[in-house]
Amino acid sequence: MRHKREAKITSPVISLGDDSYRLMSIAAFVGLLGIGAALLISLFLGENGGFKRFSYGYLVNFCFFATISLGALFFVTVQHLTRAGWSVTVRRIAEILAAAIIPLFVLFLPILLPTIMGYGGLYVWNDDGWTTSYAGHTLTAMEKLKGFYLSGGFFGVRSIVCFVVWSLMAWFFVGNSFRQDASGDVNITARMQKYSAPLMILFALTLVVAAFDWEMSLSPMWFSTMFPVCFFSGCVLGGASTIALVALLLQRSGRVTDEITIDNIQDLGKLMLAFIVFWGYVEFCQYMLIWYANIPEETFWFKYRFANSGWRTLTIILLVGHLFIPFLFLLPRTLKRSRPFMIGATIYVLAMHWLDHVWVIMPQFGFDGKDTAPFVLGLPELLCFVGLGGLFVSAFCFIASDRALVPLKDPRLGEALNYTNT
Amino acid sequence: MVATQTHGHHSKPHAGHGPESELVGLLAEFEDQDALIDACEQARLSGYKKFDAYSPFPVHGIDQAMGTRRTMLPFFVLAIAFGGVALGVGMQWYANIASFSPIFPGYDFIISGKPLWSLPANIPVSFEVIVLSSAFATFFGMWFLNRLPRLANPLHRIERFKRATDDRFFLMIEKNDKQFSAEQTLDQMQQWGASAVEPVKLDLTDHKIPLSLRRAGLVLGLLLLVPPAMIYRAQHATNPAPRLHFMPDMDWQYRFGAQNVGPIWYDNREPKYFFQDKTVMRLPPEGTIGRGALTTDIELFRGIKAGTKIPDPTLVPQPAPAVAGQAPAAPVLPLEPEWVTAFPAALTVDQSMVERGRDRFNIYCTVCHGYAGDGNGLVNERALELAISSPIQKGATSNAVWTKAKSLYDPTVTIQPVGRIFDTITHGRSTMGPYGSQISTRDRWAIVLYVKSLQAARAKEPPLVTPAVPVATPAADAAPAKDAPGSSIPASDETANKSDSPATDSKGN
Repeated sequence: MRHKREAKITSPVISLGDDSYRLMSIAAFVGLLGIGAALLISLFLGENGGFKRFSYGYLVNFCFFATISLGALFFVTVQHLTRAGWSVTVRRIAEILAAAIIPLFVLFLPILLPTIMGYGGLYVWNDDGWTTSYAGHTLTAMEKLKGFYLSGGFFGVRSIVCFVVWSLMAWFFVGNSFRQDASGDVNITARMQKYSAPLMILFALTLVVAAFDWEMSLSPMWFSTMFPVCFFSGCVLGGASTIALVALLLQRSGRVTDEITIDNIQDLGKLMLAFIVFWGYVEFCQYMLIWYANIPEETFWFKYRFANSGWRTLTIILLVGHLFIPFLFLLPRTLKRSRPFMIGATIYVLAMHWLDHVWVIMPQFGFDGKDTAPFVLGLPELLCFVGLGGLFVSAFCFIASDRALVPLKDPRLGEALNYTNT
Repeated sequence: MVATQTHGHHSKPHAGHGPESELVGLLAEFEDQDALIDACEQARLSGYKKFDAYSPFPVHGIDQAMGTRRTMLPFFVLAIAFGGVALGVGMQWYANIASFSPIFPGYDFIISGKPLWSLPANIPVSFEVIVLSSAFATFFGMWFLNRLPRLANPLHRIERFKRATDDRFFLMIEKNDKQFSAEQTLDQMQQWGASAVEPVKLDLTDHKIPLSLRRAGLVLGLLLLVPPAMIYRAQHATNPAPRLHFMPDMDWQYRFGAQNVGPIWYDNREPKYFFQDKTVMRLPPEGTIGRGALTTDIELFRGIKAGTKIPDPTLVPQPAPAVAGQAPAAPVLPLEPEWVTAFPAALTVDQSMVERGRDRFNIYCTVCHGYAGDGNGLVNERALELAISSPIQKGATSNAVWTKAKSLYDPTVTIQPVGRIFDTITHGRSTMGPYGSQISTRDRWAIVLYVKSLQAARAKEPPLVTPAVPVATPAADAAPAKDAPGSSIPASDETANKSDSPATDSKGN
């Protein structure tokens, strides 16, 4: 007789327990050390260094971890929006990752504060000498618009609004989910489902603003309405990969072994596959339109990513490594159902996602305003990765503390536990 | 609806049947999907092979419960998708650059300055072809693997089974399963929690297509012939009605001709111009020479020795027009420049140039001068004939005049330096028309070389160019022919017609 699993938690260990505090302090220490080292090395680098270099490296890694957190927030919202049952067991990990957007607001301050105070090294539009001219032509129509939109003060207002919206969203979903662990109230699920639709609209709007502000405004004379879509595809990809990676690592450490089934992992793999293809699709959409129209105001952005051999190599690495290779290894069912393989796969996809942000942000560092940019990538970026990664892990541990890593009394827990994949 | 369908054999419906008909299998009804999954697992464990489950929606986990093998459909789709890529890319490659194809050539259109073959433009179509072919492969591959479509199924005669699309779950075990026995299987089904078990009988209703449907099919088939018939008719008919203009703004575009002057648009009735001189396009800067249009090499382009004085062409006296049938008037020799006597240095004088010259000569020159250069081309012969026989010609007023084409072996021609022959071809001479606008410079020189080769062959001089393999020129083949007057066409014309050119059509011009 086939047994239907009861909607009951059976794993012996379902929380980080005391490990969370230990890990939190170690990660925070490593993180602060990394950021400090990155700042020091940047300041001593000379030509390609300075606070500007640190800002760029910091922005790459901030965007990397923020997109992961935002991807997780999207994941949580979309599960409520679709009344999904399969994902209940992995939803808690996504919730904790999504809640990390609140501490990430603090980590955004090294970018936000200098910009508000008028530092123009990172965002050239904030520089006093900057004008809306490109290659000898001045786009006077842009002068007023950009002058209004791209100002330190308004940038700060927008950033704060975005972070407040995300924080409230995360607080709403995560807080209610924790409350349900205690009470088991079905109405909590109903309420989260009800608000998921308007919140999703808010999320989409704020994400567009963030994509324009954080990354696209680095090159303020370049316009692409596809850019936020590309940014979003990276969010979901990073989010799904990180949820899977955290789930697999937790299971390796002997936690939530029974609840997160291989079917969950396979489904997260499917989501990764879908957004690998979606990423390629929208990135090509952006490239194709610009390539076809062939207008200098737009093509220059790609031109200096192709002209320098370093950036050109990175472009090809992204095309092959971010699209074709993961497409092939995420396609077979057997590979998605192998836990050790999926650990490697998620790390690989996250590495590619990191390179994607490098490709978007770093060429701007040495861009001469016309068509060339030197290849600049090195220790400051890696140290910033260690730094922000440490602080991100620390934030994760802080939020998780000794809370359960699966929703304990979700009404769809039974459905998730008995879910089987085809 | 999820798993593959193993279906019972069809036996022919026999005439004179009773209400009793052959048993096909047993159908068990279940209240919910869990009961169905359990029953499937039980059926599998009991050793049944030929059974199928029916549910209103896809039930996760039923494949494992039934022991269904994993489908090969994904690999099928993958193969078709790769085929779709090849098809999509190949189709565009062919349409864009395959102008070499003798039938259905490609287009060679340059669109917005892009290369004829550039991958970014081709990715969207290739992608869509992958999606389309994969979707078709999935859908029709599923049909094929499930042996669909089937026109009838005995289950559809069972009233209870209709709820399989609504709120009931069914399991059918077929009679031709080795484990099947009517009583024992029924017992087992009830043990597995079936809410009802019903025998499935062979469907004995007439399975012929009704006459009305067949007639409708025939009519439809005939109607399908109408469009091709209309297309055939349209292709073989003349329509006096003006053509339809679906996109008038493309057929009659608002645009300016090159070098026009005029306003581009009106802003509140005030004309606006692109440029200060009001032209719609810029003139090239003074002294601009297009690519390949530099003609400073006077030896190559004029046939005149470099550094020599060129007489003023306006001072050149025109020779009197010759009258056919009469000896030409003594030519008034114009004051000529100093012609080159050797081929210009810019040319490579070799066998391929001779061949090129022969090719061009046969196209442009033979109509008057003949294939062998004897001045007896078909046009020349026919024109002489007309001029002589013309009643007008016999009368006092004559406008049917024809100057006999010159034999290239005439001593006045053989002594000419190459530059002068080149000049004759370029600008015409006497009544011979100019060919400079029709034949490119190098081709004209090639014709000169060919003419010189013909003359050398006739004079039994060593050839100007030694061919790697001796090539028989028509002149060498031809019996030495005299300068043929109008009456002695046959001999030399036969030689001319022997040569490899397409048959010259002498009617008309």
